[in-house]
Amino acid sequence: MRIPLQPATQAWWFAAGRLLATVVAGLIVGALFGRIWGGLACALAIHLTWQLVVLFRVEWWLRHRSFADPPDIGGVWGEILSQIVRLHRRKRFHKQRFVQLMRQLQSSTAALPNGVVILNPQREIVWFNRMAGRLLDLRRTADLGLRIENLLREPAFARYLQLEEYANPVIIRRANREECYLSLQIVPYGDGQQLLLAADVSQQMRLEAVRRDFVANASHELRSPLTVIAGYLETLSQDPALDRDLAGPVAEMRRQAERMTAIIHDLLELSRLEQTAVPVGGDPIDVPALLALLRKDVLARPVHPREVRVRIDSDAALIGVEAEIHSAFSNLVDNAAKYTPAEGSIEMRWWVDEDGGHFSVTDTGIGIPSEHIPRLTERFYRVDDGRSRATGGSGLGLAIVKHVLQRHGAELEVRSTMGKGSTFSCHFPPQRVHAERAATAV
Amino acid sequence: METADLSHHISRRFNEDLERVRSKVLAMGGFVEQQLQKAITALTEGDSTLGESVALGDHQVNNMEVSIDEECSRILATRAPAAGDLRVIVAIIKTITDLERIGDEGEKIGYIASRLATMERPADKYREIKHLGRIVSEMVHDALDAFARMDAESALRVARQDRLVDEEYEAIQRQSITFMMEDPRTIRRALDVMWVVRALERIGDHAKNISEYVIYMVYGKDVRHTSLDDVERELRERAGPGGEPRPTVAP
Repeated sequence: MRIPLQPATQAWWFAAGRLLATVVAGLIVGALFGRIWGGLACALAIHLTWQLVVLFRVEWWLRHRSFADPPDIGGVWGEILSQIVRLHRRKRFHKQRFVQLMRQLQSSTAALPNGVVILNPQREIVWFNRMAGRLLDLRRTADLGLRIENLLREPAFARYLQLEEYANPVIIRRANREECYLSLQIVPYGDGQQLLLAADVSQQMRLEAVRRDFVANASHELRSPLTVIAGYLETLSQDPALDRDLAGPVAEMRRQAERMTAIIHDLLELSRLEQTAVPVGGDPIDVPALLALLRKDVLARPVHPREVRVRIDSDAALIGVEAEIHSAFSNLVDNAAKYTPAEGSIEMRWWVDEDGGHFSVTDTGIGIPSEHIPRLTERFYRVDDGRSRATGGSGLGLAIVKHVLQRHGAELEVRSTMGKGSTFSCHFPPQRVHAERAATAV
Repeated sequence: METADLSHHISRRFNEDLERVRSKVLAMGGFVEQQLQKAITALTEGDSTLGESVALGDHQVNNMEVSIDEECSRILATRAPAAGDLRVIVAIIKTITDLERIGDEGEKIGYIASRLATMERPADKYREIKHLGRIVSEMVHDALDAFARMDAESALRVARQDRLVDEEYEAIQRQSITFMMEDPRTIRRALDVMWVVRALERIGDHAKNISEYVIYMVYGKDVRHTSLDDVERELRERAGPGGEPRPTVAP
């Protein structure tokens, strides 16, 4: 705001002029009375007193009534007063603008259907909106400055914070509320600060449960007729009175029935993996015990490679969902067993280094042509149609492995030499490796 | 009001060591809360695997207790805390003992749950146990919240809840005895139910203990063997005419 110079300069000239006039008047009056200096002194004294009075009025106004209009004082002080009034007005205007902005911000964050909490680098609560207060039972002012993990104590959330895999949210079941599921996600920003986003997903979890139930029921429905068919086929194939011409077709039907069963099983597992929310963490899994179990499974097969070795280079546990990891590793080991001749060997290996935890299955089987390797994890993808269909399997095993590894932040690596063998490796990130021994056995 | 803020600000005056130990205690509390939830669900849903997993998870609780105990000893030895900080350490050491006991009771419930899962479920599907279990779970949760917030008023409320738990416990006991007298075949299951209910009642006691430690931490007053009415009266007296009880915090 530009201050017009004219009145102010004018006022100063007037003030100077007034002083000069006072001095002159004093000298003249003094000269008239024969006391020239006395006259000057009197005039100056009167001038000073008048200035003091004006000062008093100004100061009094500032102290007591600065919100009202200023007194009508002319001259320089009048200019100063109008400046002060202008400053006040500006300040009030800005403050109103600011208050309005704050109110808008507040009403918009209050309207957010999700909860938002701002955390500082120590994960202490800096601010949260109303929804967050409702979802997470936070108290308006009392909880500011408290660490979020002290109030949100669910172990799944603690693991989520520890693993720092923030690409996906974690779903926790709220401790003190019936059937209440929350989706929580941390979004880092700024200088080490974090946003915690919370949403109520109880509805979705209910739907998910309904869908899972449907899938489970459907699978049972499908399996029953299949079991009947397979049962009759088995009886037929063992019937000595069976027509010789029919033996071949019956055997083929049995194989196909087995395949259908395997496909249904794997399809259901795959759909489950895809539909449920991406899990986080899980529990520590005793990998050595798991590998020992898998080894036993391989040796129990009717046809298996002669040598099955397990090499444990680390005692560390893997943090994940046990059932899924078992399924993934089991698929890899099964594949190795299927494509390795009886004189061959399989080696399972588990080791840990600074890149994380690694599981690999090496076989001395027929190998995989390099042009097929990128497409291996596609559903129903076959390298050699004739042979693989003969050895059975659903064609979904590696797709399942891929999904499980994705959900655990891990990668699949495939290396193979035709005629010599293949190595399938799973590389888990360091956060998934737990130095202490796993709590529960397989 | 400055003094009323002090109890709220205690947690901010803690140095990093204390804050870390407090967080560890609350993490242990969170795990124990989950164990309790699982145990009760295992019982009411007849899920024996869940019951077993509770029993297996208990040693994790014990590990946490040992680890926090060591940390507290270290702090006592190296930092020689005084006044408010010392009260916190003392309260922590006692709290983890109670938390560990809650874990043990939860383990018992888990075992019984996996055993009862194989038996026929009663008509009311353990409704009373579910109800008592909910009250007790809330007590544990609120006690830990009070610990996190250093909120003595909430702690007092939790301590009061224990009376309700005792009443429920006695009601269920009476009911079980009636069932047993009516039909001796139900004695086996009724006894198991009584064990579970007793475990829950004990958990309620431990939650009450924890809230008493919170009051001790904030006010420096040991209220363990004082009646709750007396406690409330004394806290009001300390407040004086201001109304809001003033915590005694060392400078």
